[in-house]
Amino acid sequence: MAVPAQYYLLLSAAIFCIGLFGVLTRRNALIFLMSVELMLNAANINFVAFSLQHGNLTGQVFALFGMAIAAAEVAVGIGIILVLYRNFSDVDVTKATTMRW
Amino acid sequence: MAAFTYAPAIVLLPFVSFLVALFFGDRMPKGGALAGISATGLSLLISVWVALDVAGFVGSATGYNEFIYTWVAGVGSVALRFGVLLDPLSALMLLIVTLISFLVHIFSLGYMNDEGETGLPRYYAGLGLFTASMLGFVVANNLLMAFMFFELVGLCSYLLIGFWFREDGPPSAAKKAFLVTRFGDYFFLIGVVGIIATFGTGLFAPIREGGEVVAHGFPGLAEEAIVDGATEHIAMLDTVGMDPQAWFTVLGLLVLGGVIGKSAQFPLHTWLPDAMEGPTPVSALIHAATMVAAGVYLVARMYGFYAISPTALAVIALVGGFTALFAATMAVVKQELKQVLAYSTISQYGYMMLALGSGGYVAAVFHLTTHAVFKALLFLGAGSVIIAMHHNENMWDMGGLKDRMPVTYWTFLSGSLALAGIVPFAGFWSKDEVLYEALIHGLGSKGGLGPAYLIAYTFGLLAVFMTGFYTFRMVYLTFHGQPRTDIARDPVSVGWNVKGPLSVLGVLAATIGFINMAPVAKLTGAHIDFLHKWLLGQEDGGWSAELHTGLHHYEKLLKEVAGVGVGEPLGTIGTLLASAALSLVLAVAGLLLARSLYGGSEPVEHTDKLGGAKTVLMHNYYQDEYQVWLATGLTYPLARAMDKFDQGVVDGVVNGVSSVSLFGGRRIRRIQSGVVSNYATLLTLGLVLLLVAFGVVGGWF
Repeated sequence: MAVPAQYYLLLSAAIFCIGLFGVLTRRNALIFLMSVELMLNAANINFVAFSLQHGNLTGQVFALFGMAIAAAEVAVGIGIILVLYRNFSDVDVTKATTMRW
Repeated sequence: MAAFTYAPAIVLLPFVSFLVALFFGDRMPKGGALAGISATGLSLLISVWVALDVAGFVGSATGYNEFIYTWVAGVGSVALRFGVLLDPLSALMLLIVTLISFLVHIFSLGYMNDEGETGLPRYYAGLGLFTASMLGFVVANNLLMAFMFFELVGLCSYLLIGFWFREDGPPSAAKKAFLVTRFGDYFFLIGVVGIIATFGTGLFAPIREGGEVVAHGFPGLAEEAIVDGATEHIAMLDTVGMDPQAWFTVLGLLVLGGVIGKSAQFPLHTWLPDAMEGPTPVSALIHAATMVAAGVYLVARMYGFYAISPTALAVIALVGGFTALFAATMAVVKQELKQVLAYSTISQYGYMMLALGSGGYVAAVFHLTTHAVFKALLFLGAGSVIIAMHHNENMWDMGGLKDRMPVTYWTFLSGSLALAGIVPFAGFWSKDEVLYEALIHGLGSKGGLGPAYLIAYTFGLLAVFMTGFYTFRMVYLTFHGQPRTDIARDPVSVGWNVKGPLSVLGVLAATIGFINMAPVAKLTGAHIDFLHKWLLGQEDGGWSAELHTGLHHYEKLLKEVAGVGVGEPLGTIGTLLASAALSLVLAVAGLLLARSLYGGSEPVEHTDKLGGAKTVLMHNYYQDEYQVWLATGLTYPLARAMDKFDQGVVDGVVNGVSSVSLFGGRRIRRIQSGVVSNYATLLTLGLVLLLVAFGVVGGWF
C-alpha cells in the first residue's frame, strides 16, 4: 500500500516553510545557507513524489539535478561566507550592508 | 548627332580646369590661367559646333534631349536624373557663356597676374568652377539639375566675390550675396519640389525615342491640363484644392523667387552692388554671362510654363519694369565707376524680365545676348581703367583718360552707346524690341494684363532716359575733360591681354545688334531677323516640334491661354517707328543732358540740385537699412520668441519627464538597503502577491 501523494506534499510544504522561515528570520549566514538547503530539498521531495505518482522517471532525474545544484550552491555559499567573515569579522548577514544605494 | 554627344564636355572641360588650377596651379606658369583659357577656349569651339548642329548646317538632328546619368532611381515614383537639353536657346547661351568666360580668363592675365596678386590658383579654380556650373545650368534638361547648378553658381560667386578675404569689405559682400540669393532660392526649392510633386517630372521638354514620347516635360503637362482639361493624372490639384491655372501660377511664382534673387530684381537686388568688392573680371563674368543671367535664362528655359499663366506674366513684367527704373535712378548719383555699372546691370536685367513678362521671348533673349556682350565689355573696360588708376574707382578722381588710353576709350564708348541704346549699337536694337513688345502687348492684351504691361512699359521708357544719362555721365567723368588727379594725368599702361578682349567685345558690341534688326526687317521686308528665326522653329518637324520650346509654340500659348494680344493703333509700321523713335529720342535726350552737365573740361557735381532726393538715392532708397531692420528688428525677435517656446515648452516637457523619473528613482532606491534578509522578504512577498494576483485573475478562488 503506497503512501498517498498528499502526505509527501504536506511534508514538502512543511519543510519549505521551515526553510523560508529560517531565511526570513535568521541572521547567521550559515543558518541562512542551511535554510536554503531545506527549501531546495522540499522541492526535491515534490519531484520524487510526483514522479512516483505519474510513474514517470523524469521527476527523479530532476531531483538529481536539484541535488547537484544544491551542492554547487553550498560550495559557492561557503566561499561567500568565508569572505564575509574575513571582511566583517562576523557572519551576521544584516551587518554586511555596504552594497546599497 | 555627333556634336550633341560631345556636349557634356563643354561643361566638363572648365570643371577639369578647376581641378587642375586648384591642385597644380601653384606649380604652373601664370597660376593656372592657361588651363582655364584652354578649357574655355575648347568649350567655346564645341559650343560653336553644337550651335552649327542646332542650326542644321552639320548633322541631321537639330534638337537633343537625353538623360545621361541617373542619380536616384525611384521605385514606382520619381527618378532623379541628370540630362542634357540642347535647342537654339541653350546653344546660344552656351556660346555667350563660353565666349565671355574665355575673354574674362584672358583679361584676368592683365588684371590679376600682371598686378602681382597672390592666390591665383584659387582665383582661376573659382573661375573654372563658376563657368562649369553655369554651363551645367544652361544644358540642364530638368528642374532639379538646374537647381543644383544654380546653387553651385551661387557658391562660386560667394568664393570669388570674397576673393580678397583679408580685407573688410569682400567677405561681408560675399556673405551678403550668398544670403540674399539664398533667400530667393528657398522659394525656388519649394517650387522645384512642388513641380516634381505635381507633375512627377521636372523635365523642361519631352524626351522622345523614335518619335514616341517616353518622358513628358512639365510645361507640356501643364499645358494639357489647362488647354485640354487633362487634369486626372495630377493628384496634387485635389490635395491643394485649386484649379490648375491658379496652382500653376503659384508654382511659377515660387520658382520666380529664385529668379528674382539671382537676377537681382527688386527687392532682392541689394547684393549686386556690394558684389563689386570682388575682382573686376569676376564682376564682368557675374554680370554678363553667369550668375545674374541664370535667373532670366531660367524663365526663358521654362517659358512654356509661364506662358499659360497671365498672372505670373504680369508679375514678371511689373517686377522687371519697376526694377529697370528703380535701379536706373540709383545709378544716376553714384561716384564709383563700378557702382554705376552694377546698377545698370540690375536695370538691364529688369528690361529682360519686362520682355519675358510681356510676351517678348525673342526680345528678352536678344537683350540677354547683347547685354552679355556690352556689359562684359564695360566691366573689362572699367577693369582697364582701374588698373590705370591704381585701383581707385572714384570717377571724380579720373577725367581726361580719353587720350591716354585710346583703346579702352573707344571700346568703352562702343559699350556705352550700346548700353544707352543709341542706334546702331547692339543695345538699341534689343532694348527697342523689348519696349516695342511691351507696348503692343500692353495695348492689345485682355483683362488686367494690358494695363499691367503699359505700366511696366512706362517704367521701362523712363528708365531709357535715365540709362542714357547715367551712362554718359560715367563716360564724360571718366574719359573727358581735364585730368583731376595726378594718377589720371599719368595712368599705368595696360597690356595686350587687356586690349585684346576689349577689342573683340568692342567690335561685337557695335555689331551684334545686327543679328536681329526686327524693325528694319519689318520695314524693308528683308529676312534679316536671324535671332527671331533661330528661336522660331518650324510648326511641324525639327527641334521645335520635338521639344515644344520654339517661339511658334510659345506665341500660340501666349495668345490662346494667357490672352496676350497685339494692339497697333498706328498700324504695324507706324507703331514700330513711333516706339523706336520714342526710346531713341529719350536715350539721346539723356545723353545730351549728361553732356551739358558733365561734358565740360572741368565738370562739377550737380547731385546737390536733387535736394532731399539725393540723400535717398545715395542711400539706395534705404533698401539695405530696411532689410537689415527686417532681419534684426523683426526676424531676430521672432526667432528669439521661437527659441523661448522651444526651450520652455518643448524642452520643458522632455525635461519634466526626466526630472520626475529622476526624483522617483532617488526615492525608490531606498529599498536597496544592503540587508539580505530584506531582499528575501521582498522576494517572498512579491511571489505571494504574484500568486494571489494570478489566483484572482485566473479565478482560482
